[in-house]
Amino acid sequence: MNYNNYDTSYTSYGAGGGAGGGGFIPGEGGSQQSPGGRRDHAQDSLRPVTIKQLLDAQLHPGSNDTFKIDGSPISQLTFVGQIRNISTQTTNTTYRLDDGTGSIEVKQWVDSDAVDTANPTKAKLVEGAYCRAWGKLKSFNERRSVGAQIIRPVEDMNEVSYHLLEATSVHLYLTRGPPGGASTGAGAAAANGAGQQQAAGGTDSGYDLGSYTQTAKRVFQYLRQAPQTNEGLHQHDIAANLGVDVADVARAGDDLLAGGLIYTTVDDQTWAILEAD
Amino acid sequence: MDHPQTPRILAPHLNAFQHRIVRILGKVVQLRGETAIIDAGGHVDVILNRDSHLAVGHAVEVIGKVDQNLHVKVQASTDFGTNIDFNAANAVVEATHRYKAIFYDEQ
Repeated sequence: MNYNNYDTSYTSYGAGGGAGGGGFIPGEGGSQQSPGGRRDHAQDSLRPVTIKQLLDAQLHPGSNDTFKIDGSPISQLTFVGQIRNISTQTTNTTYRLDDGTGSIEVKQWVDSDAVDTANPTKAKLVEGAYCRAWGKLKSFNERRSVGAQIIRPVEDMNEVSYHLLEATSVHLYLTRGPPGGASTGAGAAAANGAGQQQAAGGTDSGYDLGSYTQTAKRVFQYLRQAPQTNEGLHQHDIAANLGVDVADVARAGDDLLAGGLIYTTVDDQTWAILEAD
Repeated sequence: MDHPQTPRILAPHLNAFQHRIVRILGKVVQLRGETAIIDAGGHVDVILNRDSHLAVGHAVEVIGKVDQNLHVKVQASTDFGTNIDFNAANAVVEATHRYKAIFYDEQ
């Protein structure tokens, strides 16, 4: 009953879910104007989400379609779910989708121009089937729903796993930053280098230095163990620390560069180890 | 009409999800009339309902309640075919429990 009530009042707002492609009724503009006017196209990204994220999304005060998830504004969304219920009306079809994290109503407006062309994908949208939807989150009378542009059946069930992993990945990106951020990346590399150094001893784990001169081997070892930034070390520093002539270090560096074991960074005289992995 | 959260789990999680409704994706190992065994990170005994149509060797997603014997009483099942990447599916289960904020609420 609740559902019917909701549906009627929603319909009286005409194209309240205007993004769904229904007709545009000029009089309805009032309720939509403020979010519409502030619309920022730079933030029109397509976000993969779980339904729980939609239900938990923060509603911007005084608005009914401006939400944030993980502190980031959302606009276009995509998600995958199983159809639990289908309700077909003349103007729209409403699906209740369940992805295991929650369920939400997804409303697709009927495009009156396309009524005659039978939609072959729609026949596959039956109860129990998995589908992917694209649309925007709306809130009306404290009830959330999605106005969908596209709903299509999932053909390869791996898409369900794929979507949930993608949603997790984007969630982590927004809450924790990009993977392997500069500081953690350098730390991990340093730890890795130290580990290799210990294991290396006299021989070199993973690096074949057999054909190089003694100086080249020392330069390489020094580059691996000396504390440095990601710019590596200048050949003068290496020469000074090893007590070797700069010209010898330069020659050794040329050999190592030619062998692909090191690479030049800020200039030709500054080198860093080219990690084997 | 109401559709509760159904966290995705594998066999090792059964104990922690007793008396809860869960979602398990596994491969059908054996059919025994009213019951079946599916492999989802370990064997899981499922108690079928009338509408379950499982096929041995196929992946199946079951929604059901974990009982005190750690059997799963099936409420709904969906055939996932024979082309399922279980590494990806198991990664989803791991993500579900590691980053539960976007997947399920504690009870």
